[in-house]
Amino acid sequence: MNSSLWTGIKLVLCKELTMGLRFKAAWASMFMFALTTLACVSLAMQGGQLEPKMAAALLWMIIFFASMVGADRGFADEDAAGTLMVLKLYGSAQPVLFGKMLYSFFLLAMLVLFIAPLFFVLMGAEAVFPGVFVLTLLLGVAGIAAAGTLLAALAVGARVKNGLFAVLMLPVILPVFLPAIFLTAEALGGGSLSLNYLGGMALYDGLLAVGASVLFDYLWYED
Amino acid sequence: MGAVLGGLTLAVVALVFFVVPPAEGLGYYVRLAFFHIPVAWAAVIAFLVSAFQGAKYLRSQEMAADAGSAAAARIGFAFVLLATISGAVFSKLTWGAYWNWDPRQTTIFVLLLIYGAYLTLRGAMPAGHRRAKTAAVYAMFSFLTVPFLVFILPRLYFSLHPSPVINGTGLAMDSVMLAVLLTALVDVTGIFYWLYRKQRTRILREEKE
Repeated sequence: MNSSLWTGIKLVLCKELTMGLRFKAAWASMFMFALTTLACVSLAMQGGQLEPKMAAALLWMIIFFASMVGADRGFADEDAAGTLMVLKLYGSAQPVLFGKMLYSFFLLAMLVLFIAPLFFVLMGAEAVFPGVFVLTLLLGVAGIAAAGTLLAALAVGARVKNGLFAVLMLPVILPVFLPAIFLTAEALGGGSLSLNYLGGMALYDGLLAVGASVLFDYLWYED
Repeated sequence: MGAVLGGLTLAVVALVFFVVPPAEGLGYYVRLAFFHIPVAWAAVIAFLVSAFQGAKYLRSQEMAADAGSAAAARIGFAFVLLATISGAVFSKLTWGAYWNWDPRQTTIFVLLLIYGAYLTLRGAMPAGHRRAKTAAVYAMFSFLTVPFLVFILPRLYFSLHPSPVINGTGLAMDSVMLAVLLTALVDVTGIFYWLYRKQRTRILREEKE
């Protein structure tokens, strides 16, 4: 990677972090959404335990929809604030894409760090393979960050925004989502581990990032 | 072209009902296969055409390519719905349940979601080059799922579905059946192409107005 690209990525990432810390609504809505959903199910269960497969599916549903609340803001907020044009003038496509992708990954990793311990406390689940559990979560949210950044840029021009992001996201992220649910269930004690799924997820994450990188140029530069 | 296709369709229907013998294990239910397989095939072809035309638009910025991509997606959506429904009925008749997330069912469902997402995205944007560009990027991006659907998904789940047709390893077909199936495939591909051209012209005309 050449140094100017890396510098650009770092600059965009720093900008995103500064903005994110200053304007906390995106974080707050995402975290509260995750907490509310988890609390709803936990309340309804009244202390009853879910089997690993169900628990894994629940955890990923929460992560997926919570990320839909937060991750689609990347470009829409800039568009609304009128700063997108400025970013287009000063930033070239790749640093902007990867800077925002890294920030999105960081945000989602924080979300997971917040919700996973609560999930164990409230659902009474137990990680039999904690290492695999953590790695699966990270690879899963990396996929959401990679695909989400491109799709957030796509959705900027749409007139109907509510729900559109989730609709666009699900088919694209399914190849990460399905193995992630399987692996999480296994890490929670639901059967023997199939570790090659981890490789598959990493590979698909890479594919999404490369695909996003190639296609983003078309979205970023006006003709 | 419409008249030829109509005639061919009638011929295929007649062949399916009067010539094709009942299949071993499936009986006369096999008749549904002559609808289900070609429709599913056309749904996949439409997906390829949509992504290909999307790529063509990104290279050339021609609105005709964008109209082609949209037309293929619209018709593909209709075909994928037919394939899903006929598949579910077939599944009920032979396996006992409408839906059990067999890998093929999952694949066709993901295709349905992609078409739905693509058309929703188009519907949410005003016509013009920006929509064309956005739609083309989504068509290409969603195409990344293909290796997963084709190579990895079948390993995640156990499948009852016969392996991809024509070679005859999954569904034991005699030569009459195979000939009728191939005719049906040609017929449905023709219908797809015919509808695709009509739709593309219509979209282009709408955008000019």
